[in-house]
Amino acid sequence: MKKLKVAIIGSGNIGTDLLIKVMRSPHLECGAFIGRNLSSPGMAKATAMGMNVSSESISYIESNPDCCELVFDATSAVDHQRHAPILRKLGKISIDLTPAQVGQMCVPAVNMRECLSEDNVNMVTCGGQASIPVAYALAQSHSGIDYIEVVSSIASRSAGPATRRNLDEYIHTTENGLRKFSGCRRTKAILNLNPAQPCVNMQTTVMAKVSNPKLDEFTKIFQKIAQTIREYVPGYETVVPPTIENNRIFTMVRVRGLGDYLPAYAGNLDIINCAAIAMAEEYAKNRRPALTEAGAPK
Amino acid sequence: MNKILISDPTLRDGNHAANHQISVQQIAAYCDGADAAGVPIVEVGHGNGIGASSLQLGESPIPDFDILRTAREHLPHSKLGIHVIPGFATIEKDLKPAIRAGVDVVRVASHCTEADITERHIGFAREAGKTVFGVLMMSHMASKELLAEEAKKMESYGAEGFIFMDSSGHFLPDDVTERVKTLLDVLEIPVGFHAHNNLGMAIANSIAAAKAGATMLDGTARGFGAGSGNAQLEVLVAVLERLGFKTGIDLYKLLDLSDLADRELLKEIPTIRSVSVVSGLAGVFSGFTKHVYRIAKQYEVDPRDVFFELGKRGVVAGQEDLIIEVASDLARKAKASS
Amino acid sequence: MNERADKLVREDCRRVLDGREKQLAALKGDTLFITGGTGFMGTWLAEMLACLNDDFSFKTKVFLMARNTDKFQGVCPHLAGRKDMTLVKSDIRRLSELPKQTHWVIHAAVTPDNRFHSSRPVETMSTVSEGIAAVIRAADPCSDFKKLLNISSGLVYGTQPWETERIPESHVGGPVMGNVASVYAEAKRYAEIYCAAARSQQKLPVVTARPFAFVGPYQSLNTPWAINNFIHDALNAKIIRVLGDGKTVRSYLYGADMSFWLLRILVDGVSGQAYNVGSPDGISLEQLAGLIAEQFDPQPEIRIQASVPAVTQRTRFVPDVTLAAEGLKLSVKTPLKAAIKQTIEWNKLSRSTAVAV
Repeated sequence: MKKLKVAIIGSGNIGTDLLIKVMRSPHLECGAFIGRNLSSPGMAKATAMGMNVSSESISYIESNPDCCELVFDATSAVDHQRHAPILRKLGKISIDLTPAQVGQMCVPAVNMRECLSEDNVNMVTCGGQASIPVAYALAQSHSGIDYIEVVSSIASRSAGPATRRNLDEYIHTTENGLRKFSGCRRTKAILNLNPAQPCVNMQTTVMAKVSNPKLDEFTKIFQKIAQTIREYVPGYETVVPPTIENNRIFTMVRVRGLGDYLPAYAGNLDIINCAAIAMAEEYAKNRRPALTEAGAPK
Repeated sequence: MNKILISDPTLRDGNHAANHQISVQQIAAYCDGADAAGVPIVEVGHGNGIGASSLQLGESPIPDFDILRTAREHLPHSKLGIHVIPGFATIEKDLKPAIRAGVDVVRVASHCTEADITERHIGFAREAGKTVFGVLMMSHMASKELLAEEAKKMESYGAEGFIFMDSSGHFLPDDVTERVKTLLDVLEIPVGFHAHNNLGMAIANSIAAAKAGATMLDGTARGFGAGSGNAQLEVLVAVLERLGFKTGIDLYKLLDLSDLADRELLKEIPTIRSVSVVSGLAGVFSGFTKHVYRIAKQYEVDPRDVFFELGKRGVVAGQEDLIIEVASDLARKAKASS
Repeated sequence: MNERADKLVREDCRRVLDGREKQLAALKGDTLFITGGTGFMGTWLAEMLACLNDDFSFKTKVFLMARNTDKFQGVCPHLAGRKDMTLVKSDIRRLSELPKQTHWVIHAAVTPDNRFHSSRPVETMSTVSEGIAAVIRAADPCSDFKKLLNISSGLVYGTQPWETERIPESHVGGPVMGNVASVYAEAKRYAEIYCAAARSQQKLPVVTARPFAFVGPYQSLNTPWAINNFIHDALNAKIIRVLGDGKTVRSYLYGADMSFWLLRILVDGVSGQAYNVGSPDGISLEQLAGLIAEQFDPQPEIRIQASVPAVTQRTRFVPDVTLAAEGLKLSVKTPLKAAIKQTIEWNKLSRSTAVAV
């Protein structure tokens, strides 16, 4: 099968890590690696890898629409707000790794098929990617959930200046995602930064209050969905399996990253990239002729 | 001369000891007494501050807004303070309503090495015209130089004062003295200290801070607070006065307030229990104590082992979920070796 | 060819370790990347690490990066050919990635040779400033990264006041502002503060060493430093020429001691802290010339005020090393006399000044 051509906008750490994942994918190929500064380390790496690089940002895709069918946007929320309508007009699928929330929220283990009909999907947050499948499993095994809470701890070094400035947006978006996928109306997200050396891996705990806990059923569904996640995030591991403690259902997972370009402890960044790649591969596998035709004329 | 600004977080840090169950009636009664005694700042809320009611830390039966409104109504003179930790509390969900409820003093806190997550919260409270203090928690986990660097960030964000917390009760007086001196060298804003009593040093450490030049101190009635409690407010004020520091608090009325707290607030007066000594030595957040007791019991492990293991892993306040991981690990290992 | 010279160096490493290898145990099994890996510092670090690997099974993997690694292969085949050492050829300014498994980095690139600083001040500044930025950028994505040791310079303090016998890390001073002669010192100050910024913003663990003066094998006797000039003169049976009145004071730490100190600072130095590295025992150039002359038979003549016209400006450059001594239990294992003896011996064995790197 012919590989799906993708472009990556944003040549920072996230974009560069995505590039390495794209290179490894049997379903994707990189048509363009796009940023603003040709001398950035990401660009240097892409150039060294023989990639087609550009510093013209979105206008490169506008003037070279053949370079890709799908675009990973790893810039910023403000930039993606601007990019989204342009990409839609060009008939490109957008996978949005910024907090812009233009399109449907996408958590591959939960709603990958559903997202295939969308032309813009948003990868929620790191805590969301780790916890929403657990919340979804809780919802599948219980008729109603009173309250869901998600606590993530990440290595201080994995939180860059943008993350630190936008903790509130992280919390609101994660809570939104939890509500959407679990149907539970009361949700809470908490984020801790841990400065311990050596750096800690990302850990996420999902706690829930339900009137009538069905631990066995939940455990079964959780294990299945965790297996699905491991297909695209190999380092997704259960630390404390579903347990009842102090009248709450408690489940804890750890995410060790692949360490492609980002450090391996930054499972929080890796899980979003892995999810984005999984979604892009799904688009590649399910390409219909219509999808290609809607793109630039060949 | 030598004036010390006292903050009283009995109704906030004390909530750790009360499993965050302090009621509206208790808040009203305590605030009446504190106001009458002339306590300058009364801090209320969940033990980890506004927006922190959670399964992770313990749920509060009363919404933050009701807590704040009650306190406000009963504090005609004293200032009403809150503790805010970004990562738990957001500006939109928590800080804005708190300010609407009439808060005067906003203390924005982070782990001692992570001051840059407080920029927006400090900026917002400052913009709203409130008195804003920066707070670094678990300050024993940073060298004095690093603590000063992080404090300086808070000053640049607009904090009008800086308080460092000995959240694990790990410091000895010399540790406090050298930190206050370094902070005063670097900062242009006043410096304050918040003690815990795990190693029996809360009053001694607070006095060391004042002698080194700190001008803000925290104390709670009967030492009511997380773990083995805080600096006991009535003792602190008495000792300060004897040393010639002024607090502006009426000592008799403060003693009455403390007796009231004893009657109305507490089931047990905080004492230094064996596990608190271990928690202080291990440098683990005092607020973990009740959770560690409960979880160690469920997993049939020694709570002291849990504390030392948590200390080894460098956990920060807010990572209470790791207690279960550590306890279940210890239980598994014990089983494997038996 | 130089087996005896190599053996001398190895014996020095063993003598300096003196049962203290446990203090470096944190390096066991880890990967260490050294920029400027083929200079005096880099070579001594490689020697010490080779000794730790051979004698104490440290199994530490070492990467030595330099702009020109070919020369090193010729000079130090016993190091270059080792399985646990990998040579990396790159300009520090272009360094974009480190091996992903890197745990430790010692950034020792940039020559301290003041002849280079004089003729190529622009390159001096750009190698220091762009070099530190490149190293930090490259270290950031390493998954198990533990610490960066930034090699700064004792020159960041500016001129040591004559009345100050030893200069401590807390000394407030600096190079002469706006003077081109300050390029190296100012650039090093910039690099130190750049590290502080990375530590504050990216939480990268980084410690700084401020080296003073050294002596030993692998130091080129062509360099314009008094001790090397004196040894060079003596080895060539010439008169030892002392500039000035001989009262200028320096101190010298032996290469093997230096490498142990640097590794200790890397492993246990407190992030954010700077440590002086050097000998705290000052010696006047006049006495130094005497110490060197003693090693030869017949003793070479020593000529004070060898330059014309006579200058009497005296300087002092001696570190206070209390912080390293108390915080990291470091001490000088090789007294200056022994250091000189070993240096002369090694140079004789190597029989060629071109050997030095």
